[in-house]
Order: sequence, then structure tokens, then C-alpha cells
Amino acid sequence: MGKFLLLAFRNVFRNRRRTIMTLIMVGGGVTGLLLVGGFFARMFWGLRESTINDGLGHIQIFTAEHFNREEKHVLDTGIDNWRQVAATIQAGRHVRGIAPRIEFNGMLSNGVKSGVFMGSAVDPVAENSLGFTPRLESGRDLDSKSGGEIEALIGAGVSRSMNVKPGDGLTLLAVTSDGALNGIDVQVVGVVNTGFKEMDDRYLRITLPSAQRLLQSNRVTNLVVGLDQTENTDLVASELTPSLRGQPQQLVLKKWIDLASYYKQVRSLFSTIFIFLGVIVFFMVLMSSVNTLLMTMFERTREIGTMLAMGTPRSWIMSLFILEAVVLGVLGAAVGVAGGNLLGFLINHAGIHLPPPPGTTVPMAFHVLYVPSLMVGSSILVTVSLALAAILPAIRASRLQIAEALAHV
Amino acid sequence: MNEIVSVEAVTRRFPLNHDRTKNLVSALSEASLRVEAGEFLAIAGPSGSGKTTLLNLIGCIDQPTSGRVLIEGVDTSTLSPSRMSVLRREKIGFVFQTFNLIPVFTAAENVEYPLLIQGIDSRIRRERVAQALEEVGLSARANHRPDLLSGGERQRVAVARAIVHRPALVLADEPTANLDTHNATQLIDLMHGLNRRLGLTFIFSTHDARLLEHTERIVRLCDGQIQSDTQTQSNSLYANIQNEGGIRGQVLASSLS
Repeated sequence: MGKFLLLAFRNVFRNRRRTIMTLIMVGGGVTGLLLVGGFFARMFWGLRESTINDGLGHIQIFTAEHFNREEKHVLDTGIDNWRQVAATIQAGRHVRGIAPRIEFNGMLSNGVKSGVFMGSAVDPVAENSLGFTPRLESGRDLDSKSGGEIEALIGAGVSRSMNVKPGDGLTLLAVTSDGALNGIDVQVVGVVNTGFKEMDDRYLRITLPSAQRLLQSNRVTNLVVGLDQTENTDLVASELTPSLRGQPQQLVLKKWIDLASYYKQVRSLFSTIFIFLGVIVFFMVLMSSVNTLLMTMFERTREIGTMLAMGTPRSWIMSLFILEAVVLGVLGAAVGVAGGNLLGFLINHAGIHLPPPPGTTVPMAFHVLYVPSLMVGSSILVTVSLALAAILPAIRASRLQIAEALAHV
Repeated sequence: MNEIVSVEAVTRRFPLNHDRTKNLVSALSEASLRVEAGEFLAIAGPSGSGKTTLLNLIGCIDQPTSGRVLIEGVDTSTLSPSRMSVLRREKIGFVFQTFNLIPVFTAAENVEYPLLIQGIDSRIRRERVAQALEEVGLSARANHRPDLLSGGERQRVAVARAIVHRPALVLADEPTANLDTHNATQLIDLMHGLNRRLGLTFIFSTHDARLLEHTERIVRLCDGQIQSDTQTQSNSLYANIQNEGGIRGQVLASSLS
């Protein structure tokens, strides 16, 4: 086997120029896959972390009713004893903090003009401790210790449409948990840019006590749990589930991936694009290699005839050609992995930024992630492609008529 | 007598074009030949006389249109392709006109190849390769690739490759055609010496009359037919075999006595 492998290896380098061209082609395919795949992986990672750190958290706790029925009134399906629940969760491993939230809707007015808002009420200290800091365009974040006016953050779109800036006042109107209409005056302390225009046009954030006063309820919509690492999500979720069963209300736990529908859509779309790219590379290597390997076979007709005349089993001839293709594939993959990593390194240090993706306003950094599984997968892809490309030449070589092959010029 | 090759009324026709049923040309017609173990036999004749066709049929790399070829009593037409492959691997050594060495292998690796495909242990392979290269006087060139060897050296490597697995029969198709007279004579002498020392049966083809001087038996072909089969120094061959004690020679000598 050793000599056979040696023969295959040396045969690969018989025609160096052709081999180099094939290696460039195969390596180029692998490099392309690594760069595109690495960029997508970096994008997925960035989107995942930004989705989590923008406030989704790693795990969220709701009442089961929240998903089973529509609320008749605001906080109708909220968590009642959320402080005890939060204390139970906080005692678990890998839990960095818990942020209670209220999601509510209503109307806002500057006295001249009114509009709708999608509001969230938060505990600023808990949010900050988890790194859920809003992207402020101007002003400052909410201060939970503020004793004066009720503070509010608004989206950039709200700021424009209502013509308000930090320091200005707004009136909020919302239906309470009893179904009555209630209103409070708030002072805008900051303007937020979420990166999504539709969100910025409706965004409003106030503190939890302010919202509970407005909505006349002590409940919260959900508890957002932040962990030390995203990779621990499944572990913590499996540990938390039993401890939630003993609560008076039936509670359910949702992992970030269950709630990140945008992330899943983006990932699904780009994964499909990547698979399509992989298929293109696969066929590109396959089709161009068939021709090269057939040429190699024709050039070695007499040599194959000699080997067959000496009694070499036809299966050996076939195996030799496939082995040569596999050697070529492995070498090409190595070239591609080296090239991909080198180019990735250069790109990562070049500070290239792409235009903001659709629906966002923040330019995206062009970074490539080193993904070992992608390197292995791309290498296997091109090696298999080359091995398949070698099948036709290998069959032809193994079926040569010996006398005719020996007379081949 | 220990008959190693028996060619019985063999005819080989080839199609002139793609239509394999019409326009057949005869490369060999009703040829019959018997070769005893330990013989040194030349097949002579001009180009196109059927020498290569006859060697191909004896070497089991082609099938006769009619007639049959027996190697050590086995009718090759009854063998499956894989059995034929085994027979070639174990019983026959080939020397080709254009050397046909594997260019990416060194001289030693080329000589080793027939042992490799027989699955022989690496230690034994090394010993036999060294022995075969010594037989052809190329021990010092063992690690050279074919492109660094002269034509004469390449053909000697090819001879070493043909004898390394101790075949019953060595077939050489125009082995001297690409060599100058000096190298050609040396090669024939080398093969003759191996025939005498090791008792190997050699059948070689040539169209060069000068190389036939040291050949005990000459089969002359013309237009696909055997014109003559001449024995020149048969007694001396068997005497030499007996004196020099080759393995096959001993068997042959005992069968002759």
C-alpha cells in the first residue's frame, strides 16, 4: 500500500504545470468556500450575539397562558410572583442576571400631534448589568433612581415625527389592566437608533415602576435571563425547567433561538446560498477535473498497458487513478485552506466595511470567521468531487486492451 | 521433455476498420510452435511478419482467433481474464521494445513492481531486487530514475524487472530495436547469460540478423506464417544449463537424461 500511495503521489507531480493549475482551481474553490462560509459564520455569530445583547437575552420566562390565548387586558397573562421566580432562576448555574420586562402599547402625544408606540418597561440597572444597553443617538439612558419626572427613551423615528428631543415632554396614554384609560407625562431623556427603521418609528422605553403605575398592575410580561455564554443556553434551560414546575402559575421557558425569528430567517437564507455555492464549486471541480484526468489517462496508455501486461489487477489500476485524484484533492484542499486562512487574516485586518444590510442603518464589518468544520467540510467536498471525477478515467484505464495499449503512441 | 509453451495452429485476424465482421486481415496464420523449458529462442522476421502478435498470444495479452496456446500445459483460452492476469503475474516476464519503465519509479522500484503486485513481503522484495539488479550489473544505479539512465541501462532494468519474480518464461519483443549495436549485442549476451545461469526460458523477437548469431533456435516468420524453425546449438545450451546448475536447468536436465 505504501508503494502504491508513493506511486500515486509521484504520478500527481508528473506534469507539474497541469497539477499546479488543478491545485489552483481546487484550492481556489476551497478558498472561496472558506471566505464566503467564514463571512456568513461571522455574520451569523454577530447577528446571534447582537440579537441576544440587544435585549432578547439567552432565555425568557413567560406564563404558559401568554402563548395559549390572547390577552383581554394588558398584563392579563403576565407573571404575578415574578420576584420569587427571578430569585429561583438567579440561584442557577451560569446565570448572569435577570431583567423583568413589560411589553405594552399605547398612544403618545406632544400636545399638538399624537401617534402610537410599542413600549417596553425595564429595570435599567438589571438591563445594564446584562449589557442590554440601547443604542443612543442622543441624550442618556434611563435612570432608575431618578426622583423627578418619569423618564422615557424614544426611537429616532418617534423623535422626528413628534419633533421632540431629550429634555422635551410627552404624554403617554394606555389602557390599564382593568380596562380603563390612563395617562402619564414623561420626559424624553434619550433618542435611540435600533438599526431598524420600522422599530425606530414606534419605539418607547420607560422604567418598570412607571409602566406599572400607568398600567395599574404589579405583573410583568416576562423575565429575560442573561447567561455567561450563549453556548450554555441548552444546559441552563434543561436545569431550569424542573425548578419552574413548582411555581403557582404555569411558566414556560423559551430559548433565544425559539424567539429569534429574524435570525432564523437570515440563517436559513444564507445557508441556502452557501449550499448553492458549494454545489457550484463541487460541479466546477468535477467537470474540469474529468477532462484533466482523462488527458492523464490517455498520456499514460502505454504505461497502463505495461502494468496490465505484468499482471496488475484491473482493480488496482482503477484504484490508482482514484487514489491519485484523492491525493490531488487533499493537496488542493490544503492549498485552499492555507489560502483561505491567509486571505481571511488579511481581510480581517484590512478594516473593510460593507454597506448597511436592508432594514438597518449600521454598516457591517467585513470579517471572516475561522471555522474548522467548514475547512474539513470544504476539503471533503473537493476531495470527493475529484474522486468522482476520476471514476470515468479510472474505468477506461482499467478496461484498456493490453495489446492495443502497448502499441499506443 | 518439459514443454513450457505450445502454440497449436494459431490464427489471429484483426479488423481493418470499425466493422469487426468484415475486412479482416491475418496477422498470424495457422502457426504452431513448441518451446521447451530453458530454451533461448529468437523469433525473426521483417516488420509486419507477425512477431509481436505471436509474442502477445504467448504472453496471454491477446487471444487467438482460432487455435490454442498452452502455457505449462494450461490452455489459456479456458482461463478467465483474472486467472490470465495471475498467470502473467506469476509465470511470465516481459521486456518491451521501448523499455516501458514506470517513469516516476527508480530503477529498484521498477524492478520491485512485479513482486509488489504479487504481494511478496518487503524484506524478500528488497533481497530479490538487489539480486536482480546485480544480475544485470546495475546495482550502482538502483536509485536512479529511468530518465537518468541510458537506453542500454533502461533495457537492463527492464530485463531485471522481467526476471525478478523468477518467471517460467521471459518474452522480449524487439528488445534491441531502440539500442545501438554495441548495447544490443550486450543485451542479447545478458539475456543469454541469464538463460544459461538461471535456466530461464527466453523468447525474443528481432528483425536484426546480427543478433541471431548466439541464438540456439531461430523461428522465422514471414507474412504471418512460420517459414522455418532452426536449431543451431541446442546441445551446448542443455550442457551449459546442467553445468551451471540453474534451478530450472536442473529440472530440465533431469528430464532430458
